[in-house]
Amino acid sequence: MNLQRLDAARRRHIGQILLLAAGFLVLVAISVASVLLVNRAREDSALVVHTVEVENAINALLLEIRRTESAARGYLLTRGPEFLEDYERAMTAVVPDLTKLVKLTADNPVQTEHVRRLREAIETRLSHFAREMEFVKQGQFASANALVREAAASPTSATIRDIGEAMRVEEHRLFAVRTTNADRSQVLASSVTIAGSSMVIALAALSVFLVRRSSRMRDEAEARLRDNNVNLEATIDERTADLREANDEIQRFAYIVSHDLRSPLVNIMGFTSELEELRGDIFKRIAALSRAASPEPRAPENATDSAEPVLDGTDRQLSEDFGEALGFIKSSIGKMDRLISAILNLTREGRREFQPERIDTRELIEAIVTTVAHQAAEAEAQIRIDPLPDIVSDRLALEQIFSNLIDNALKYLKPGVPGDILIKGRTKLGFAIFEVTDNGRGIDPKDHQRIFDLFRRAGTQDKPGQGIGLAHVRALVRRLGGTMSVASELGSGSTFTITLPINWAATNRNKDT
Amino acid sequence: MSNPVTIIMIEDDEGHARLIERNIRRSGVNNEIVAFSNGTAATDYLFGKDGTATARKGEPLLILLDLNLPDMTGIDILKRVKENPNLKTTPVVVLTTTDDSQEIKRCYELGCNVYITKPVNYESFANAIRQLGLFFSVIQVPPAAP
Repeated sequence: MNLQRLDAARRRHIGQILLLAAGFLVLVAISVASVLLVNRAREDSALVVHTVEVENAINALLLEIRRTESAARGYLLTRGPEFLEDYERAMTAVVPDLTKLVKLTADNPVQTEHVRRLREAIETRLSHFAREMEFVKQGQFASANALVREAAASPTSATIRDIGEAMRVEEHRLFAVRTTNADRSQVLASSVTIAGSSMVIALAALSVFLVRRSSRMRDEAEARLRDNNVNLEATIDERTADLREANDEIQRFAYIVSHDLRSPLVNIMGFTSELEELRGDIFKRIAALSRAASPEPRAPENATDSAEPVLDGTDRQLSEDFGEALGFIKSSIGKMDRLISAILNLTREGRREFQPERIDTRELIEAIVTTVAHQAAEAEAQIRIDPLPDIVSDRLALEQIFSNLIDNALKYLKPGVPGDILIKGRTKLGFAIFEVTDNGRGIDPKDHQRIFDLFRRAGTQDKPGQGIGLAHVRALVRRLGGTMSVASELGSGSTFTITLPINWAATNRNKDT
Repeated sequence: MSNPVTIIMIEDDEGHARLIERNIRRSGVNNEIVAFSNGTAATDYLFGKDGTATARKGEPLLILLDLNLPDMTGIDILKRVKENPNLKTTPVVVLTTTDDSQEIKRCYELGCNVYITKPVNYESFANAIRQLGLFFSVIQVPPAAP
């Protein structure tokens, strides 16, 4: 379910990224298209303007030609110098107008051809005027009149008019075409902008919707998380209470069981001892009977009642077997009693309330070392104590922990090697770490777990012990909120490491036990 | 024991009862021993049907009490004996397997005269009972009610 949720979240993420990318692409496309279309519209407008200019130029040229013509006629009729002046001015204006028209129509082959023909016609016409003016100046009015008549008869004027008209028609056509083009470009540009804008708006709306949806989902998830946390704490409290109860139950159970086991043990031991006495009585009687039956009675032995009766052969064997059986029973009972006592002591320790107090650790360990000075001297062992951190903890528990470890170190030294036991300590992150190192016989790594189990021991079983010490020590260390470990190799000594909180508050664990 | 003191032994384990009796006899104490294997029978005997112990008034008694009984705890009996005006002067010896210090303290607080833990080691056990027998032989037991 979680995986599905994760997948959905990933898909949503990808969707949002795609959405953003799409919006960005649309914006870029709109920008590019707008720039292109605006350029095109500008070009179209420029063409329209150009057409208008060409038309203007044509009109201006034709006007100048008419002005020249009318000035020439006026001079011919009146010979007034003001007409001559007019003529000269119009004449000079025609040529630049024509040149301008040539330039403007250079892009259009049709108009270029028109202009070429127009230029021929105009030149012809202008040369007519020049000749007329020449005749008038020389006073040959008849020749001038004849020339005018001839000119009026020739098609030159009509040609100029026709060509001008044709050019205007052409420009009109171009004007219409180009205006349409420009309109289309503008419409296209605006429609692209509108379409793009609406797409951007749509994408933005979609984004807003998605963002709102995801933020709503996040709020819901947060609420769920809060609920879960609250539930979790409640669950933990519940479980802790259960564990506490179970632990108490186990303590009570162990106590009652070990206590009640003692009662039958008293009987077994008592009546075994009674049996032993009966055995003594029986074999004494047997000895007496066999002695009475034998021909030569023995003198001093039967004088004392308590002495072992003198038996022969099979009777002695019987007596010895009897004694051996009773001996095994008694030694087993003794062992069982010690085990039961050990369990009782452990449960009693488990029920003891700890009292945290500030402890001078070095002083505490020195006191322990003093109490084992005799054993240390016997084992030729020296015990060294490095500076140790002081801690707040339960004094009795600490005493039991360290005296057990030091006892063990002394007990399991290598025979024939002077013992060297070192106790050192340091602090780290609110914990005090103590190490008890010896150069004793060491512990096989496969037994490192086993030595902490109740009634389990490791290595050569040549020392008395119940297998309780380390189990007890570890239980104490745990109750004090610490941990314990061992590092050792067979034959090369052991190091027991104990980590305890520097400031242990009894409330942490006292109620747990 | 010169005076005819009756020893009331309240012990649910018959084996224990037998061993205790044997060792008391071995120490030379020949007083009558009345044994009960449960608390109800013992309290019926001590306090009678009405629970006032008037029947036992003036009778010199010594109570040997085990704390772990099938129907009640020895502490209940100890409490009733010490609260009863007719029996409160009767010496009570608590003889039990419990060696819990809290329990011992509680028994003495309730007025128990001697508290002995039954050792599993039989020599110690026999020794303790015999010494108890010697103690019985010299102890002056007052009549159950003045």
